[in-house]
Amino acid sequence: MKNKKSRWLVPLLSIGVCVLVSLLAAWSDLTYNSGRLVYPMDSSYSFQPSDIPMLLALTLDAFCALTLLTLILREAIFRRRREAERRRTRQLNPRLGFLGLFGFCGFLGFLPISELSTYTPFVFFLFFGFFGFFYEGRMSNTLMDERFQENVRRAKLDAYKLGIEIVLLLVIANGLIDCSPELRASVMLVVLSLTMGLVLFLQEYLLYRYDQQDAEGV
Amino acid sequence: MAEFTCNLKFFRQRKDLTQEQLAELVGVRRETIMRLEKAQYNPSLKLAVDISRAVGAAIDEIFIFP
Repeated sequence: MKNKKSRWLVPLLSIGVCVLVSLLAAWSDLTYNSGRLVYPMDSSYSFQPSDIPMLLALTLDAFCALTLLTLILREAIFRRRREAERRRTRQLNPRLGFLGLFGFCGFLGFLPISELSTYTPFVFFLFFGFFGFFYEGRMSNTLMDERFQENVRRAKLDAYKLGIEIVLLLVIANGLIDCSPELRASVMLVVLSLTMGLVLFLQEYLLYRYDQQDAEGV
Repeated sequence: MAEFTCNLKFFRQRKDLTQEQLAELVGVRRETIMRLEKAQYNPSLKLAVDISRAVGAAIDEIFIFP
């Protein structure tokens, strides 16, 4: 427990220090530097020695963010390795599946292009795949014996097969149907995002279904 | 999947082991043992060897292929 606490203490302290230093630098910039680096500047910026505190604070923030990112990635890798050694699936709360609701943000892409002037909201359809966490959460901390691993391979294979079939159909339809490049781009983005979301979801759903079928002895 | 007859239940009960205990001994889940006993799962050679050692019977006595 102590180990777990101390593991979070250093990142939290560094965030605290960064915030404090940034606030001090902002105060110093506003008081002694006419807020040069606090207010938005145009491209005519030229360095002045009085900019140093704020620049140092920004450097510290960037360094802190990079270090935190590295720590998080390292922790994720170690965690995965530990779980692999324990031969158990990762522990997840099924409620994470609600992240899939972000997928509905994809419908923003159907708003008239003049309002958003971008297709990117369609990418949100990918979030539908996060509904799979409902099923992954139910199977968390399950012993990954050879039958489970076989089911994982089976589920992944079935999901990827469906995904590839959809993408192939899309590519063929893309070649056959004559339409404007804008429409083509948006259809491609919608179908690809939905397909990726579907594949992500199906991997977990099929695994759960195969596993439950086996458990029920069907 | 190849069809076979499985006598695992007989040998397991002879050893006075529950499905749970056998599963723990060979490092699989109880459901896997259940599927094996119903001859609905074709085990790997390693698992078959582990099971035969755990129940003290030869592999070809436990899993009978036609």
